[in-house]
Parts: sequence; structure tokens; C-alpha cells
Amino acid sequence: MNGQRGMSTLGAVLLAGTAGLLTATLMMDWMVVDVHVVEDDTPIHIKVPFPLVVADIAAGFIPDELLEEAEIPPEVTAQKELVLATVEALLDSPDTHLVKVRTEDADVDIFKDGDTLRISVDADDAVVRCNIPIDGVLAALENWDWETVDPQMIFDVLHAAENGELVTVTTDDGVRVAIKMW
Amino acid sequence: MKRKVLVLVTLAALLAAPTASAGDETRWINVHVTENSSNTNVEVHLPLNLVLTVLKNVDVENFHGGQVDLEIDEDMDINFPEIIAAVKDAPDGEFVTVTSDEADVNVYKQGGTLFVTVNQKDDEMAKVEVTVPLELMDALSFGEENTLDVAALLQSMDELPNGELVKVTSTEANVRVWIE
Repeated sequence: MNGQRGMSTLGAVLLAGTAGLLTATLMMDWMVVDVHVVEDDTPIHIKVPFPLVVADIAAGFIPDELLEEAEIPPEVTAQKELVLATVEALLDSPDTHLVKVRTEDADVDIFKDGDTLRISVDADDAVVRCNIPIDGVLAALENWDWETVDPQMIFDVLHAAENGELVTVTTDDGVRVAIKMW
Repeated sequence: MKRKVLVLVTLAALLAAPTASAGDETRWINVHVTENSSNTNVEVHLPLNLVLTVLKNVDVENFHGGQVDLEIDEDMDINFPEIIAAVKDAPDGEFVTVTSDEADVNVYKQGGTLFVTVNQKDDEMAKVEVTVPLELMDALSFGEENTLDVAALLQSMDELPNGELVKVTSTEANVRVWIE
């Protein structure tokens, strides 16, 4: 009887642990790098899921000396107010087709769609789709000191990105690389 | 019966149209550039507020806080506000007409709007048409140190009716700037 109770306690602990792990996994932001290569008879499909929290932690281990060496040019720092004001104004702008470029080599379109800036390039040899979370970029730029390289900025932007494809590049030689948020 | 429904739908659409346009108060600056030689077409459609915000925050050599330094020699005593007031108060008519082998230039006022046209006769055969509505002239504000407040000028476009501001046609490229 006691043995049965012991088993059920262990089971409950395991179940709770599994549920906790599952919840934590679902709550976390994941980045998935998805690479398709369709070449001749040997198609390759690689999918690398990556929890962003790991990247956050890893960024903390980058030696300060390395980051200090990569200085931000003063010309960039001087444009802080301009960049912040522009991104903020863009975020407040109504949704629209902002830019349309048609050339013999490529078509470029930039759309503002909610909190996302969608950039699409259709070139002769590649197709690129890019979804930039404007709110995430603004938050990252506001938190940045504009003097040193801060890898955390990239992760701040990624955390703010909506679920789905962040960047996809499809080339005419059969390679498709997608960075997805999940 | 069908006709009745059609009339009702049309009436409803007509009544809804002004309400819909009144709700959307965003003004847009449009720029279209077509380069003839490379068959390139660029269309930019930006909210006026976005352009204004950028302009007010640009800080480069001759442009600070929405004001451009006209770099006019201090010895030249040009009273811009007086010139603008004179143009504004002048009756409709032709102000300047230049005819040469290279180009014809016309500056004239019609219905309170100032028009500048340039017709190039050689090279790119460019034809330039600039429209300066009265509201824009009112907003032309010059600082004490020969600066022009471009941001104020742009801000005044918020009150302008929809219409074309600049149109350039040439053998090389066509450019059109308008507000809506």
C-alpha cells in the first residue's frame, strides 16, 4: 500500500516537473533557423530551434574587452535623437505602402503593417522577405547607450518580434533560409 | 426592386464617404520618380508627420532643427519677408518672363497661387512646374541669420488642399511631388 503511495507521489512529481518544463518551453521565445537546400537529388533540410533565453545568458559571458574594442563611431551617436524620433514617428504612422521601387533587376516594397515594417525584395536571383518589429527596435534603441556594441539589443528586438517568419531568403539555386520566431 | 436597392446602396455609400474621409486626417507626401533610361520607377508615400519629425531632428552642417542656413552673403541686404509680402499682395499676373536659347522661365500668379515654370530647350529638355499655394507663402519664415524654417513650411502643408507641388518632366526622368 505504502509502495503504491510512493509510486504515485513520484508520478505526481514527475508529472508536475514535465508540466512545468512544458509550460516553461511554451512560455519561452524560440528562434528557429530553417535551412532548405533543394539541389539535384539530395535535398537537405536543417531545422535548429534555439531558445532566446540561452542567447540572453550567453551574451552576458562575452568579455567586456571585446565589446569595448568595437567602438560606435561618433557620427552614429550624434544621430541618436534623429533615429529615435524617426522610429517613434514610424510606429505612430498609419499602415501603408511606404516605398515601391521597380527596376529591371529588382522590385522593392516597404510596408508599415501595425507594429511591423515589412520589407520585400524580389530580385532576379533571390527573394527576400523581412519583418522588422518596429516596437522592438524602438525599445532596443532606447535601452542602448549608443556608445558601445550591445548584443543584447538584437535579442531585445527578437523578443518583440511576432511569431512567424522574421527573415526568409530564397535564392534561385534552390536554397531557402528562414529565421522564424516561435 | 433591384433598382431600389441599388439607389439605397448608392445613397448610403455617398453619405458614408465624407464621414470616412473626415475620420482619416493623415496628410501624405507623395514622390514619384521615373527614370526613363533605366526603366526605374520609385514611389514614396510618407505621412507628413513622419517627414516633419525627421526634419526637426536632422542636425547636419547647414540644417539644424528644421531650419536651413541659406548661406547668403552678409553684405547682401535681402529682406525676404518684404519680398514675400509684396508677392502675396500683388494681383494675379505675370511677374517674370525670361526667354533665351537655353530655356524659357515664367513666374506668374493665378488665383492666389504662384507658379514657376521652366522649359529647357536643350540637353535634357526638362520642363519644370512648381506650384506655391498662398498658404505656403504665409508659412515662409526667415530667421535673423538668413535661415529658412523648412519645418514650418512643411507644417503648413497640413492645411493645404490636395494637389501637385512639383512636376518635372525631361528626357532623362520624370519627378512628381504632391500632397494628399
